[in-house]
Amino acid sequence: MKCAWQELLGILPMWLRQDVDKLGRDTLQEIRLRLGKPPELVLKDRRINLKRAVMADDIHFAVNTACRYSPWTADGAASGYITAPGGHRIGLCGETVVQNGSMTGIRSVRSLNIRVARDFPGIGFGLAAYPGSMLILGRPGWGKTTLLRDLIRQLSEKENVSVVDERGELFPVCAGINCFDTGKRTDVLTGCPKAQGLDAVLRTMSPDTIAVDEITAAADCEALIRAGWCGVRLLATLHAASRKDLYSRSVYQPIVKSRLFETLVILQPDKSWRTERMEP
Amino acid sequence: MNVKIFGAILVILACGGMGFSIAAAYRMEEKALQQFISALEYMSCDLQYRMTSLPELCRQTSSQVKGMVGEVLMRLANELDRQISPDAESCMHAALQAVPHLPDSVRDNFLMLGQTLGRFHLTGQLSGLESVQQLCRRDLEGLRANRDVRIRSYETLGICAGVALVIIFI
Repeated sequence: MKCAWQELLGILPMWLRQDVDKLGRDTLQEIRLRLGKPPELVLKDRRINLKRAVMADDIHFAVNTACRYSPWTADGAASGYITAPGGHRIGLCGETVVQNGSMTGIRSVRSLNIRVARDFPGIGFGLAAYPGSMLILGRPGWGKTTLLRDLIRQLSEKENVSVVDERGELFPVCAGINCFDTGKRTDVLTGCPKAQGLDAVLRTMSPDTIAVDEITAAADCEALIRAGWCGVRLLATLHAASRKDLYSRSVYQPIVKSRLFETLVILQPDKSWRTERMEP
Repeated sequence: MNVKIFGAILVILACGGMGFSIAAAYRMEEKALQQFISALEYMSCDLQYRMTSLPELCRQTSSQVKGMVGEVLMRLANELDRQISPDAESCMHAALQAVPHLPDSVRDNFLMLGQTLGRFHLTGQLSGLESVQQLCRRDLEGLRANRDVRIRSYETLGICAGVALVIIFI
């Protein structure tokens, strides 16, 4: 198991670092900081509430150090999240700024959810042998990104894999080098919106496989279908706990109807997975 | 008699020097404001095209703009890199403490800049930089109004004050 642990500690207020380091080095999944409340550490098997209450400066510190005092460099800051060094995702909640009907920023941040990015090499052993395009389904926190990362590594032993990593979570960079192994033949396009990124790597990188994380919008589905009909194998993750969830959500209907994907990889709460054939 | 003449020369030189140093401080403030405006323009351009992170942006700008302004920006970059302050404004306060000889107007504008840094989206950040630029321009215009007359007045007043003191003491 690999984790950019020092990068995680670096974004936490000083007084919190020692406790987090002591209690969560191996099993920490999330840290929740809420204004005026004690920090909550979500471990694999339990939750721990620390004693001291979180102050506004603690939240500002975490947000600012995560983006090096430059929220404009984090594309998602205005959408309510920041990807910190090491690939740790920070969800932001508070008072938002809305202009012309869309959220443009957060006036005051009141709570944070810091999700710890961990890499488990070998977690998807055997998945690379499945033919055709694959959809990885799972609820938030069940390990979709981790499984996709390992699958990309396995496939890149044999073929060119292009990754459109919009949020910089699949293959984060720490101090100029990759935090997690990308595999032999992996090319990563980071920070680019998925729809544009898919078109770009298809045209320029001659991929055998294209991988994207978290398909959520209709534009992403359309871009996936465009790429899929160009003879490229696709790997994608999306939020759905089961086949039924996938078929019920209208935004995913174009993907279901396109019949591009042959295999569904369905994650379980214990982070194990099973495969199903997509219905014809 | 020689002692009196020597003393008179010293008094005139001291008072004149005071007048000239006030005039020099006036020129220095004007130059610092000009440098500050150039720095803000550079930062705006770089942000628009490269969306550089703040520590790197300050470091780059400090290499482009010399003098006290460059020094403050370099210290700000170092303070941001240390990652011990909760926000950019606190880092700016720490950086300004390390440069005590900064003219007041430039210091105030730097504090204003510190308040605007760290906006959640680029447009907001650019408009923040623009508003500080406007404040600097206003201050600079104020300094430039009757600039030559004021500078000459400080210098002349210094010498005249020295002469007056010599006459009183003798």
